Amino acid sequence: MFQAVSAKLAQTLLVLLIVSAASFAFLKLAPGDPVSIMLGSDYSQASYDKLTHELGLDQPIVLQYGRWLADFVRGDWGTSYITNQDIFELAVLQALPVTLTLAALSLLIALVVGIPTGVLAALYRNSWIDVLATTLAIGGNAFPSFYLGIILIWLFGVDLGWFPVLGFVAPWEDFWQGLWHLALPSITLGAWYVGLIARITRSSLLEVLGQPYILAAKARGEPGWRVVWVHGMRNVLMPLVTVIGLQLGGMLRGAVMTEVVFALPGLGMMVTTAVLNREYIVVQAGIMLTGLLFVAVNLAVDQTYQFLDPRLRRR
Amino acid sequence: MDCAVALTPQAADMPASPPPLLEVRDFSLRRGQAVVLDGVNLVLHPGETLGLIGESGAGKSTLALALIGLLRAPEVQLQGSLRFRGTELTQLREADYRRLRGNKIGLIFQDATAALNPCFTVGEQIAEPLKRHLGLSKWDRRDRAAALMQSVGIPEPRLRLDAYPHELSGGMQQRVMIAVALACNPELLLADEPTSALDVTIQAQIMELILDRVRELNSSAIFVLHDLALGAQVCDRIAVMYAGQIVEEGPSERVLAAPLHPYTRGLKSCVVELGSRMLEPIPGQVPPLNAMPAGCRFAPRCPKAKAICSEQRPLAEIHDGRQVSCWFID
Amino acid sequence: MSEAMNVAPLARGSQWKQRFLQPLLRQRSAMAGLAILAIYVVAAVCAPWLATHDPTAQDLMASLQGPSAAHWLGTDSYGQDLYSRLLYGAQLALIIGFASVALGLVVGVAIGLAAGLMGGRTEWVLMRIVDGLLAFPELILAMAFMAVLGLGTENVVYALALSFVGPFARMTRGDVLQVKNQPYIEAARLMGVGTAAVIWRHVLPNVVSPILVQAGMRISIAILLESGLSFLGIGVVPPTPDWGLMIAEGRAFITMAPWISGVPGVALAILLVALNLLGDGLRDAFDPTTQKDA
Repeated sequence: MFQAVSAKLAQTLLVLLIVSAASFAFLKLAPGDPVSIMLGSDYSQASYDKLTHELGLDQPIVLQYGRWLADFVRGDWGTSYITNQDIFELAVLQALPVTLTLAALSLLIALVVGIPTGVLAALYRNSWIDVLATTLAIGGNAFPSFYLGIILIWLFGVDLGWFPVLGFVAPWEDFWQGLWHLALPSITLGAWYVGLIARITRSSLLEVLGQPYILAAKARGEPGWRVVWVHGMRNVLMPLVTVIGLQLGGMLRGAVMTEVVFALPGLGMMVTTAVLNREYIVVQAGIMLTGLLFVAVNLAVDQTYQFLDPRLRRR
Repeated sequence: MDCAVALTPQAADMPASPPPLLEVRDFSLRRGQAVVLDGVNLVLHPGETLGLIGESGAGKSTLALALIGLLRAPEVQLQGSLRFRGTELTQLREADYRRLRGNKIGLIFQDATAALNPCFTVGEQIAEPLKRHLGLSKWDRRDRAAALMQSVGIPEPRLRLDAYPHELSGGMQQRVMIAVALACNPELLLADEPTSALDVTIQAQIMELILDRVRELNSSAIFVLHDLALGAQVCDRIAVMYAGQIVEEGPSERVLAAPLHPYTRGLKSCVVELGSRMLEPIPGQVPPLNAMPAGCRFAPRCPKAKAICSEQRPLAEIHDGRQVSCWFID
Repeated sequence: MSEAMNVAPLARGSQWKQRFLQPLLRQRSAMAGLAILAIYVVAAVCAPWLATHDPTAQDLMASLQGPSAAHWLGTDSYGQDLYSRLLYGAQLALIIGFASVALGLVVGVAIGLAAGLMGGRTEWVLMRIVDGLLAFPELILAMAFMAVLGLGTENVVYALALSFVGPFARMTRGDVLQVKNQPYIEAARLMGVGTAAVIWRHVLPNVVSPILVQAGMRISIAILLESGLSFLGIGVVPPTPDWGLMIAEGRAFITMAPWISGVPGVALAILLVALNLLGDGLRDAFDPTTQKDA
């Protein structure tokens, strides 16, 4: 067991190293010379060499990487050329919570709508509910979230005036205002997930309901709702979590678009603005952070498996 | 069938005997066009054990599932009557039927590994009917579940309450299944091939265990089996099924010693016994449900079939204390 | 996948028909997807003849107009004809979608084959690079590549292709490792067949079908990413007729002229639905047990 855990740990560390190396490589590949950018238009060769030396850019690449990594781990991510803001503060303390809140709310909406839809579709297979659920699943999965966001803004923000159109209020500062502002973005991003969750719930539940242990639960006198929601759904959680984990890339894709459409100051917005401003150091922070997020979620999904499926638990 | 009443020899011969626990009358089950069970008649008295014997596809398991109410309209169409303790089961409301399942009627599945939910501990699964039907409190349930596990021969039940099914061996899983089925002291226990998924070495143990428990609780039991000799050994009476019909039914010793129906004879000669010279397989196969012969369903495979067999269905007749459906009982 | 693995190494025409074409034809939704895709392809190919205007011709006198006889689907804020831009946009979306997946596939399969067949240190290094690519969500990866490469249509293709290399490489390597241990590969080697011939004749045909399914499903992601990048302003540059750009442009005029974003938005949504239906059908036709992955 110790071996298994340490192997997992070593593997994770390796991936983290690769993520950091990729992020470092990105900055090296980025066009433009950081020294001349920092010095502005007018500088002498002497001051150029001096800054190059101060930044350690005259050292071998491996050393540069080591120094960069050490700074990164310490939270010294540099300062934005444009806003003069500390990048660690910008990325981790300001942008990340926004993106995480948006993702969590969207996932919540998707689960609350998607699971019952999937269950109904499975229970009333080939009925109109099933057709509707399947249609929603395919439509919601394919509909580009940035266009959906625009439509929602138009309908519910501008036309009906039910929700604020732009801007972000942190739910941890003003809970209800925050939720109100995040409503349309969360629906936009959640819509993409609803279909997926409904679909996987439907197919997994259909498979589970055909298992002998479901018949056995009925033979014990368990009522129908308990057979489906307790005995059945308990076994559906595993494939559900798998898919949610696998689709994290799609989730982040949608989050970037949604943030830009609704002008939410999240990671996606940060990276987009930084790319447009050619602030590669901020882009790099965004890349590194999403990479870390990816690794963390994959680890979490792995851990959830063991929690959800007793057969995978080590004793 | 006019002679239906006369088909139950005990009722006719011994009017003093208590009313039957279970009475199956002219019971048919159709799935769409396919007639899966056709005119089944059975009587089971309190404390009696009955073996339902036949090849796979004969409808034995279907009958068991229909008895516990897991095969009902609109999934399938039922005809005839199932009376349990004087209650007509076919007309019973689902909510009332649910009160019988796991309570008055218990069911042991063939494959415990598949019939136990992998995501719940065995303690939780044993305790479920205790909560549902007896309304026991959480701690009482644990105590009862441990006692039940003890009674089905699971060592250290307290430790195993929180085990998940996959942590137990196949034999232990089947014992858990038995504990679940017997949790509420059912009056009728249905056991669907309770040992066929197990190693040969523990089959006898499990069979013995079920019989012991049934006797101790003074319950009745129906064993679904494909082995005629085993059925005759463990059950008071035997009903041989073929293609959804009961072809011969009667006391075990008599059916095994002198089978009257050609199919029962065929089954008996399939049993490998020490010292027997040869094994006679029954030629052919069970016809598909959508292409059943109009007359006797066994006629195409029967060595004694005559013209009438493929034209008209033989009615059940009382013969030597048994009901037999054959045109040529000798 | 396993389905394809177990059958004989050489797929024959009739077998291909039986295994793949017939199940696909049986799926009505996949056929509907194919029909819609066909319409888009025709529109894209015939864009020069079907278009009524130059897609980039501006006419500020005729800006923000609703559908009319002169402009069938209206005009945008620069007075560009939306109908013509829609047609050329289809062309661009399909070209970028197919080209980026094709390029990503070629590079990814090459890396996967090299890693799977060579093994050892080469494999370790190649797979760590692939791990690095797979450690990031596609869009972030594509955005990073766009930042490095700069804006423009060609660079969008390169950026998307690079972000697709990882999945193709990992999949190919996995399949190669599986095929490599099959008895018939061993037999071919023992018979003295050269490595290149073994790859070409025996390994590739067996890894090709799952990879093609994967490619088919990725095209819709590619088109979504392409229009998304352009929508964010880090993809194709104006005034190129691109759906993502058109939606971004129409965003400001959503209340006054909802058709500006509506025309490309609906067109994009329908195309993506069609591609998804086709992709699902493709997957089911090859192997009903394979789950869709990201």
